[in-house]
Parts: sequence; C-alpha cells; structure tokens
Amino acid sequence: MVPVSIKLSAPGGVAIRWSDGHTSTYSYAYLRRRCPCAICRDTPPVVKTEPDPFPILGKGPIAATGATPIGHYAIQFHWNDGHADGIYSYSYLREICPSEECRSGETP
Amino acid sequence: MALFEKNDGVSPKQVLQTLKSIRDPDLQEDIVGLNFVKDLTVKGSRVAFTIELANPACPDKDRIKAEAERLVGSLEGVRSVSVAMSFKVTRRQGSQSRALIPGVSNTIAVASGKGGVGKSTVAANLAAALMDCGARLGLMDADVYGPSLPTLMGSSQTPQVVGNRIVPPVVHKVKMISMGYFLPKNEAVIWRGPMLHKMIHQFLGEVEWGDLDYLVIDLPPGTGDIQLSLCQTIPLTGAVIVSTPQDLALKVASKAIAMFRKLNTPILGVVENMSFYTCAHCGQRDDIFGHGGASQASREMGYPFLGEIPLSREIRLASDSGEPTVLGRSSCCDAFQAIASAVAAQVSIANHAAVQSPTIEV
Repeated sequence: MVPVSIKLSAPGGVAIRWSDGHTSTYSYAYLRRRCPCAICRDTPPVVKTEPDPFPILGKGPIAATGATPIGHYAIQFHWNDGHADGIYSYSYLREICPSEECRSGETP
Repeated sequence: MALFEKNDGVSPKQVLQTLKSIRDPDLQEDIVGLNFVKDLTVKGSRVAFTIELANPACPDKDRIKAEAERLVGSLEGVRSVSVAMSFKVTRRQGSQSRALIPGVSNTIAVASGKGGVGKSTVAANLAAALMDCGARLGLMDADVYGPSLPTLMGSSQTPQVVGNRIVPPVVHKVKMISMGYFLPKNEAVIWRGPMLHKMIHQFLGEVEWGDLDYLVIDLPPGTGDIQLSLCQTIPLTGAVIVSTPQDLALKVASKAIAMFRKLNTPILGVVENMSFYTCAHCGQRDDIFGHGGASQASREMGYPFLGEIPLSREIRLASDSGEPTVLGRSSCCDAFQAIASAVAAQVSIANHAAVQSPTIEV
C-alpha cells in the first residue's frame, strides 16, 4: 500500500490518501509524538499543542513545515520545533492511522 | 506531375491498422498503441517508418522488423517498405532523483546477500552489454570495501575534478566511478554509516553523469548502511539479485530480497551465476554448486528469472584483464547478452506499470 497524495496542511493536520482509496488524517501532535527516530523512541518528545499566551516568545503549537520523500517507501517530516530526523515508512503510517475503521481492525 | 500524383495506394491509417497486430514482447501491448511507430511517411507506393522500442537490447528486434515489412508489404498498393529500428529508453523519476541525478533515466542496483557470487562481474557485463546495444551507460561502484570494478573494466585513471564536480572516467564507453580510483593500492576504507551515506550521496549527486539511459550500481554484499542509504537517497528503478545455485547462497539472497521488499524497491529479477561448469579437457558438464536453484527460488517468490552464467575460465581471464566478457568472443557472451536484454525488458515493464510517487502538498 502506498500513498497517492500527502497534504501537510489539511483540515485536522496531515492527510494521506492511500492507493486503496482510504484517507488517513493525523493531527500534528499525534504524528510528532510517534516520531520513529531513535531519539524520540527512547525519550518521547514533549509536544506543544496549546497556542502560546505570548506567541512572540515561542513557536506556537506543533505543525509540519515540510516533507521529503525517502526512496520508494517512506517520508520524512520537518517539524516547526526543529526536528526532522524521523523517517516514517508508509507501512508504519498506515499502521498508526487513527481513523475508527483502522483502529477497530476491520480494514486490511 | 508528382505533385498531383494520385495516391490510390495506401493510407497511413491503413498502415497503422496493420501494424497493430505486432505486439511488443516485453509490454505485451501492440506497438501502435504504445506509440512505438514514428516518422511514418507514405509516398505513392513507398512506405517508410521507424519502430522505436523501449528496450535497446530487445532480442526480437529483427523479428519485429521482418514482421512489419512483411505485413505492410502485403498491403495492396505498397511496392516498397523501409523499416528503421531504434529505441528510446523510458524513465520514471521521483523528485529525489530529479534533484540529484536529473539526466539519469534509470537506476539499477546489482545486489546479493552473500559475497563472492559475482555481483561486480554481472554489473560490469550488464553495463557493457547495454552500452554495446547503443544505450548510454554509467557504472557506480558502491562497494567501498572491495571496489573491484576498476579491475573488471580495466580502468585506473584518477577522475578529474572540475569546479566542485567529479568527472567520471569513460571506460568501454561507460562512465564509471569507484572508490578504487581514490585509494592508494594497499589502503582500505574503514568507515562507519554516516561516512558511507555521504559517499553514496556524493557518488550520485556530485559526479557529472550527464544524460544516461541506465546507471548500474554495484552494491557490496549484505543488507547494511550502503544498501539502506541508496534506497533512501533515490527511488531506484529496481534491483537485480545475483546468486549462485547452492542453498547457502540462496538463503542469504532471500535476505537481500526481503530488504528490497521492505523498502518498496522493485525487484527486476534473479541471475544465477556459476550455474554449471564444463570441463575444458573432457567437455563433461559438472554442476559444482548445483544447478537451477536460483531459477526455482525466483519462481517460488514470483520474480522473473533473468538467466544463468556458467562458471568459466574465460570469464575469469577476461575479468582479470579488464575486458568485460560480453564484449569479447567467448562462448559466455550470449549468456550475458541475454541477461542484459531481460533486465532492460524488466526496466521497461517497471516504467510502464509503475505507480507514481505520491504528491506532497505543503
């Protein structure tokens, strides 16, 4: 299964449309917390989800700023907290799809 | 008068309709639908056209030409048919390849699990065979630990550096880069992952490859840093797996296959090297490592079997002297040529069928 399109600024976060027609929508915080890089796996990152009362001091809530395809099998997200090490394989992304049908394990 | 010559012969449409019955042997579609028929001209009773195949090494080239001549020649009103055969290698690049190697149409990795099965020999001969068919070839030696392509291709010159770009030496009309060019004879590369990753990146992006139909990449054995870096840096067109027939080698080759599958890299097929040995003295054949193991394994796993290469003194001699076997006159030429044809066919099939890489919208 491979993605057909990946939208970084979809309503609700990152939206991926898959070759089987399914669409997964991941909130930025959900994806960032599940960063598969070695460091984040060891120490889960602290992810800011609330807007800053003084936005001038911080970067605001977590968001994806860009993405790079990795060969035929994965994508690397760039986050506004400066992190960009995680290589999210397509199979991993599909595995963690938060949609109800995927969670209940009904879709293949 | 010629200007008003009545064209009661044949129409271009009729010619195309007739040619529709010829199928491309690789893509299994008719050559008209594939848009392989080019430059069709009909002048009175004279018909001329070019058939442009996607496979430069198509073994059925002559048959297709003869068939086209026969079919069109038998149309009413046609006196002479002139068919030219040419090729145009297809491409399907991802955004990473476009940025790093914009002129390279296809990237083919030659891999195995086990060492010493003849990856480099297959890679060198694959490149030479496709070059010999008229394609533009590059050969990248990604085996930094044991770079053997300079020996196999008979090349030892140090590449020139122009500006920040490395100009690859051209050997047997193949552009080639290898770590062997940069190392003194008795030195070795003892590197960890990040250095290897950088080397892959440099060999792809900082070498002046220019326009190539195929870039053949010779990998070291195993499923380690270099293989992973390569599959991450560019979306490969596909991988060719080399194995000897014995179980030991096949078991390790299946690890390499599993790796490419996990990385979504298409597997173009399996080559069986050292397939059999024919005694130079008595002519008796001996299957030293067994025979047919790789073809059976590739069938079981559902990958094309690309061909078999015998264990032969001629190949060893040619390899040590820096002349790719396929360019010489040995009896093993045909084996290598057949494998090159099969690989080019699989590339053409992969490009025809491949799914697009996903679009990314920021």
